[in-house]
Amino acid sequence: MGNSRVRIIVSIAAMLLLAKVSIGAEALKLRHFQSVYADDKEAGFRSPEGVGCDGKGHILVADSGNGRLVRFTLIDGKAMPDKEIKVPELSFPVRVHTNSKGEIFALDGRQKRVVRFSPGGGFLGRVDAAGSPPPSTVIPRSFDIGKDDSIYLLDVFEGRVLMLSPEGKFLKSIYFPAGYEVISDLAVDGKGTIFLIDSVKAMVYVAAKGSGKFSPLTESMKEGMKFPATITTDAHGNIYLADKNGGNIYIIGQDGSFKGEQLTMGWKEGQLRYPCQLCVNDKGEVFVADRDNNRVQIFSTVR
Amino acid sequence: MRYRVSFAIFFILVFLSAAAAFPADVYRLKPGAKGKICTNCHVDFQDKLKRPFLHTPVKQGDCSDCHNPHTSSHGKLLEADPYRICLRCHEEIVPKKAKSTHKVVVEGKCTSCHDPHSADNKWNLLKAGNELCFGCHKDLGQAVKKARFRHSPVEKGCLNCHDPHASEKFGHLLKTDVPGLCTNCHKADKPAFTRQHSGYPVAKARCTSCHNPHGSEKAAIMYANVHRPVLSKMCNQCHESPSSQTPFKVKSPGYELCRGCHSKMVNETFGKNQLHWALVGKDGCLACHTPHASSEAALLKGPMITVCGACHADTIKRQESSLAKHEPVNKGECTECHSPHASDVTLLMKNPSVNDLCGSCHGWGKHTSHPIGEKVRDQRNKNLNVNCLSCHRSHGTPYKKMVPFATATDLCVQCHKQ
Repeated sequence: MGNSRVRIIVSIAAMLLLAKVSIGAEALKLRHFQSVYADDKEAGFRSPEGVGCDGKGHILVADSGNGRLVRFTLIDGKAMPDKEIKVPELSFPVRVHTNSKGEIFALDGRQKRVVRFSPGGGFLGRVDAAGSPPPSTVIPRSFDIGKDDSIYLLDVFEGRVLMLSPEGKFLKSIYFPAGYEVISDLAVDGKGTIFLIDSVKAMVYVAAKGSGKFSPLTESMKEGMKFPATITTDAHGNIYLADKNGGNIYIIGQDGSFKGEQLTMGWKEGQLRYPCQLCVNDKGEVFVADRDNNRVQIFSTVR
Repeated sequence: MRYRVSFAIFFILVFLSAAAAFPADVYRLKPGAKGKICTNCHVDFQDKLKRPFLHTPVKQGDCSDCHNPHTSSHGKLLEADPYRICLRCHEEIVPKKAKSTHKVVVEGKCTSCHDPHSADNKWNLLKAGNELCFGCHKDLGQAVKKARFRHSPVEKGCLNCHDPHASEKFGHLLKTDVPGLCTNCHKADKPAFTRQHSGYPVAKARCTSCHNPHGSEKAAIMYANVHRPVLSKMCNQCHESPSSQTPFKVKSPGYELCRGCHSKMVNETFGKNQLHWALVGKDGCLACHTPHASSEAALLKGPMITVCGACHADTIKRQESSLAKHEPVNKGECTECHSPHASDVTLLMKNPSVNDLCGSCHGWGKHTSHPIGEKVRDQRNKNLNVNCLSCHRSHGTPYKKMVPFATATDLCVQCHKQ
C-alpha cells in the first residue's frame, strides 16, 4: 500500500517536472490590471486601433474613431490622461509610436501616411520616405521605430520594408519574403531585428539587422490562430501577436518557440474583441488597443 | 561430425519431398472455388457476365481476388477497404506528386464512376462519355448544354482535355497546360488568329483568362462578363504595345493601372477611413478581380465566398461549423453587409449602425422587448451600447441563434448579475 502511494507521488512529481520542462521556464501569462476608457473629460474612446508606450511612463492611444491621439502618464500604475492631440493632418490614427527624443509618430489610416509630432504634441510634418527607389507610390500599412530612432515603414504597395533615417530619408529596403500572402504588421526589437506577421498564413518572418532578406521564423500557426494582424516585441526578446479575429494574444520566443496563448474573446475586462496594436513597456506591462470594446487594456506579465 | 552433416542432408531431403508432395492448393479447393462456383449461388451474376466489358478478375473467375469467401470486416465481404483493393492492381492511377487530383479518386470512391464487375461501357464506366461527368458536375453540364457557342472538344468528351484521375503536372486535371492544350488545335501563326488578338502574342498567354473552354453565350466563347477594353480590343489601354519587348507588361503597378478608368471608385475608396488592404497590395485590384473576363459579376476571380475565403478562411470556417446559418454568409453574399473596397466603419461594414444594418433584413424591433439602441448602455462596458452584436455573432457560433454562449442563462448573466 505504502509502496504504491510512493510510486504515485513519484510519477506525479515526474509528470509535473516534465510539464515544466516542456512548457519552458519562460512561459508567460497576462494578468489584467487596468482598462482605460476615456480622456480627462470622460470623452470615451471610439474604435481605438493604436496604442504606443515609451520608457518615460507615457501611453499614447490612437483613438481612431474620434480622430485623435490621447496621451496618458502612468502614475503609481494608474493611467492618468494628460494631453489630447487632434489636428487636421491626422484624421484617423491607427498606429502610434515614439522615438528616444519623445517625438510622436502616428499612421493616418485615411491619408495613408505617417506624421510626426513634437513631444508636446506640435505637428512637425509627414514622413515622406524621401529618396526611396521606385515606385514612387508608398502605402504604409504599419510602421515601427528602432532603438536608434530609425523609422521602418511597411510598404504594402511594393511589398517591402523601407528603412529610413530618423529624419525620414531612405536608407535601405527589404522585400517581403517569397510566397507571402498578407503582411499586416512589422516590429523591430532592440537589436534591430525586423519581424513581419503574415495574417493569412499565421506565420512570422524575420530579418536580422544587416540582413537583406526575410526568412520564416515559424511554421504556419493557423491551427491555433485565426487572423493574427499585429506584432510587437519586448525587452526580453518575446514576440507578441494579437489574433484579431480570435480575440487572443499569442506569445512566442525569438526562436519561434510557443510561449503561451492568452486571453479570450469577450466584452468583460480582461477579454478582447478585435485587438489591434500592442505595445510592451520596459516594465513588461502589455498594452492592447481593444478596438471593438472601445478601450485600451493594460496587463502585467507573470512568469 | 560426419553424422551431423548426414542428418542435416536427410532433413532437407525430407522437407523438399514433402513440399513436392503437397499441391499448390494446400486447402484442396474444389475446381473453380476462386470464383466460378460462386455463381452457383449468385445466379443473378450471370447477367453481369454477359456485359461487354468485364473487370479482369471477373473475366478470370477470381472473385477471391477482391472478396473473402468466409468472413470480412468490410461490406460485401470485401478483403479490405475498397480503395486499397483497387490500388493493389491500379497503383499508378494517382502520381505521387500530382499537381491536381479528382476528389472522388482521392476519397477512394472508385465505384462512383466504375462498376467493379462489368459494364456496358469501356473501362467499366457506369455511364458513357460526358453523361458520367455531368452526373456530379451538374451546373457545368447544364451550362454546356445551354451554351450558344459551343467548344467542340467538350462535345466530344471531357477526357479530351482532362485526365479523370489526376494530373501530374497541371491544375484542373488537365492533360497539358494552357495555352499548349489550346494551340494543339488553334494555330496561333495564322493571320486571322493574330488579327483577332490585336497582334499580341497570346499563344504564350493564358487563353482561359478570356475564353470559357466549356462554351459560352458570348461569341468566341468569351466569359459572360468581359472587361470593356478587352471587348473593344483595346489591350494597349493597360498593356504595352504588342510590338514591344514586353507586350504583356502593364503600364502601371497595382491599383494605379485601374485608377486610369476607375478613378471615381478609387478616389472614393481612398477617402474612407478603413481600406481593404488587399486593394493596395502588390496585386492591386487583381487580388479579387480578373482583368479580362469572368463568369462572375464584377469580374470577380471566382464565386464571392471563394474569393473572400482565400484570405478570410477562418471567418468562412466559423459559419460552416455554426449551428445556425446566417443566410447571406451561407449564400456567400459577403457584400450584403460589407463594402469590399473601403468603409468608414470597422470591419468594412456598410452601415455605421449595427442595428440598422441587421434591421434591413431582420425586424429586430419586434424581435424582443429587451432594450436596444444607441441610448442603451451595455452593462459590461461603459463605452458600448446594446446592439445586435451584443448578443449575436453574425458569422455564427457553435450555439443556437448565433449566440456566443452555450445557454440563455450564460448570456443573460453577462449583464444581469443579480
